[in-house]
Amino acid sequence: MTDQASTGPDRPSGISGRMTQDVVAGLFLIAIAAFFLYHARGLPLGSLRAMGPGMLPTSIAWIMGAGGALLMVLSLISGGAVMTRPHVRGLFFVLGGIFLFGLTIRSLGLVVAGPAAMIFASFATEEVRPLEATIFAVVMTGFCILLFKYALGLPIPVVAFM
Amino acid sequence: MDIISNLALGFGVAFTVQNMFLCFIGCMIGTLVGVLPGVGPVATIAMLLPITFGLDPTGALIMLAGIYYGAQYGGSTTAILVNIPGEATSVVTTLDGHQMAKQGRAGVALGVSALGSFFAGCVATIFIAALGVPLTRLAQLFGPAEYFSLMVMGLVFSTVLARGSILKALLMVFLGLLLATVGTDLETGQERVTLGIQQLSDGIDFAPLAMGIFGFAEIISNLENPEARDVVRGKIGKLLPSWADIKQSTLPVLRGTFIGGLLGILPGNGAVLGPFASYALEKKIAKDPSRFGKGAIEGVAGPESANNAGAQTAFIPLLTLGIPPNAVMALMVGAMTIHGIIPGPQVMTKNPDLFWGMIASMWLGNAMLVIINLPLIGIWVKLLKVPYRLMFPAILIFCCIGIYSINNSVEDVYFTAFFALLGYVMIKLGFEPAPMLLGFVLGKLMEEKLRQALILSRGSFSTFVERPVSAGLLAVAAIMLIIALLPSINKKRDIAFQE
Repeated sequence: MTDQASTGPDRPSGISGRMTQDVVAGLFLIAIAAFFLYHARGLPLGSLRAMGPGMLPTSIAWIMGAGGALLMVLSLISGGAVMTRPHVRGLFFVLGGIFLFGLTIRSLGLVVAGPAAMIFASFATEEVRPLEATIFAVVMTGFCILLFKYALGLPIPVVAFM
Repeated sequence: MDIISNLALGFGVAFTVQNMFLCFIGCMIGTLVGVLPGVGPVATIAMLLPITFGLDPTGALIMLAGIYYGAQYGGSTTAILVNIPGEATSVVTTLDGHQMAKQGRAGVALGVSALGSFFAGCVATIFIAALGVPLTRLAQLFGPAEYFSLMVMGLVFSTVLARGSILKALLMVFLGLLLATVGTDLETGQERVTLGIQQLSDGIDFAPLAMGIFGFAEIISNLENPEARDVVRGKIGKLLPSWADIKQSTLPVLRGTFIGGLLGILPGNGAVLGPFASYALEKKIAKDPSRFGKGAIEGVAGPESANNAGAQTAFIPLLTLGIPPNAVMALMVGAMTIHGIIPGPQVMTKNPDLFWGMIASMWLGNAMLVIINLPLIGIWVKLLKVPYRLMFPAILIFCCIGIYSINNSVEDVYFTAFFALLGYVMIKLGFEPAPMLLGFVLGKLMEEKLRQALILSRGSFSTFVERPVSAGLLAVAAIMLIIALLPSINKKRDIAFQE
């Protein structure tokens, strides 16, 4: 994994109008903290002597949110690496492949779920060769069935629709 | 001699046909994932957890441990031959190892790294055996306050070791702790932040979280930044180092083993620091430091030994204190709990077979790895030539099947996809996932110990500084954090990570 922070061009934010990585990172943490604070609001805090269930989620969320704000402020003062564009293609096809697997494994079995997930995910890269990907997916699925179902005896549905 | 009789017991367990076979399988799989960049031991162990359900606990842990240290061996093969680290801990090996390969000495580099690792593995095995008993006694003296402070120290250590900003790493620890609070509260039975999702009432499962972040998010990130693979062409050359090579490597191996073994014990994944420390030391004491980076054999021998020694002594906090020092060990906790074994000081007294059998299997596994690694290098080289466009769909399907099989649950597959997205966002925002994972792993135990300690002290935080051991641990944590934050050291740390 490469460190984008070190490769990104140093540019003060505000002037260029683009968000720095750390400003977005701070917002990300604040959002998660707010989410936890909202959902933990009804839990009793208790006291230090006898902590309630809400004590830790609430206090950790506050600390993290404050830290996120600090990160933002520091970045607004001193700039930092600019956000790079997300790899939408990779995200879409990889996550889509996993979802396809989840959707089909119970109802149709590995015979369908395996190739479906693999072929779909293959398109996550520009280098995809559809025919090669298809053949590879079918062969790998066969291998997985032999390995997981027969050699290791996992109760995974293979042909569920028949 | 207690150690000898204990080790004899262990070897008796490890040398059964079944356990030797499992150890071999574990080492093979481990080497495979170590060789392949982009598949780490965390994702692999998470993927293979369901396979171990049918085994007895000792066999299961022997196999999982084999995967873990097998991956350390395999990682160096990739580092030397392809100039990209197969595992995070083999980053340093790329520096001189690949240079040696370019000079036609790939075989010697691989040989020295395997033999150095084997030596380190042997020493580390004895080290664990010798330290096991006294550390377990010490652990029995630990109260909740000491446990809590020890975990604080581990978490601080993991932030100091993370790449990039310490503030961001620290915030990741808090994110991990926050995620760990999801689920039913242990004392009151109230549901916390479960959003009404039934699966979440037991808390977030570690396997989907680890697999999402270390398996899938890594794939997406790798697709975004394709690595130039510069597989060494031509001959690997002879594998056995010459007498001169051996003489040159002996002291670095000894020093590397010592440094790595010592750092490996520290909670907070000290093992990753070992190779860096060893490389820095070798470079510092070398007569001619300019040789480093141009194929100095000491730059391979030292860090590789440190790497392997640290990987093994990392078992010490898990086996004696029940605190996992890194994500792989956290999965080991999962594997033990599935079989009804609670990791901690009582493992050694209640399950001596498992404890000593696992330690003995490490020595056995190290011996196997030398045998697996050296003759099979040709196969690994061929595997490295498989393009990533075929590799990643295969990793994806293995992960999907693995995660589904843990609970036969489709929901787990969706959770994993969600954590993949979260992991990718984190990578994009420059957050290191490792401290988050460690925070998550220790979160539940820390909360429990914190509550216990505060009940005992009637709500006063001073208990953490009034008890000497606890105060000492916290002081170490504070000092490390301050040192790491000093501007001059901080700069050096950046350079060390860039190297």
